[in-house]
Amino acid sequence: MKKIMNFLMQSCQKAAGLIDKKMEIKLAWKENVQLHLHTPMCNACSAYEKQSKLIDETLQRYLHNISIDSKSIVENRALKNRITSKL
Amino acid sequence: MDTTDSNSTIKCWVDLYSDQLFTWAFYKTSDKETAEDLVQETFLAAVHSFQKFEGKSEPKTWLLAILRNKIADHFRKSYRNNESKTVSFSQFFDSNEDWLSKQKPQQWNEEDEQHLLENLDFQKTLTSCLGKLPQNMKATVLLKYMEDKDSTQICQELEIAAINYWQILHRAKLHLRKCSELNWYKR
Repeated sequence: MKKIMNFLMQSCQKAAGLIDKKMEIKLAWKENVQLHLHTPMCNACSAYEKQSKLIDETLQRYLHNISIDSKSIVENRALKNRITSKL
Repeated sequence: MDTTDSNSTIKCWVDLYSDQLFTWAFYKTSDKETAEDLVQETFLAAVHSFQKFEGKSEPKTWLLAILRNKIADHFRKSYRNNESKTVSFSQFFDSNEDWLSKQKPQQWNEEDEQHLLENLDFQKTLTSCLGKLPQNMKATVLLKYMEDKDSTQICQELEIAAINYWQILHRAKLHLRKCSELNWYKR
């Protein structure tokens, strides 16, 4: 019985790890079960799941969309001179 | 083409493109000095392999390709130099593996969440948090989101095992979540 309980009751630390692991690689069926048993019952971990996904999407949009032409250009005269002097 | 010729061409390119390349490198690395060094290295490499250019592409495209490689190299190096400095989970969880009370995620404002994605100030908050991450985490996060690479490719580039990869991202997320909550909701 204790074994079963141990398997079913995952700690928050493990659950939070699985939440992020799932976004990167496929979970084993066992891990999936453990996650589904923990997260819906745990306010902190379900908040974590939402926020982790939000961070993921924000970074995706922000970092991926930087194309060389879309940014207002920062002038760096010192760098220009430095490079020219080394050529 | 002799060396004087290639040198004057590249000098002209420095004039035309260095600001743009610098701006881009700065966004990618969120570090001014690193960005400057990488742009400089890019032009020095361009002098070196000028024969390969052949005018088949736009100079800017060619320089950008060199810079991209330099940035990826930079991430690889900074990942490897800081590999051992993994942060323990004890700053997030107690000995029972429960969330520490000051780390415990609380629901963010529901309505807010819909808009945060579009919110430029929130993006800024998150990017400044990104800048505060330990080097190896920052390198992994930037590599993942910048180039839209899948996990297998990133693991290959950083020469890390899949298990280390998601664990690093997980730790980075724990930091980023707390940091953005602190700075955005001031709690």
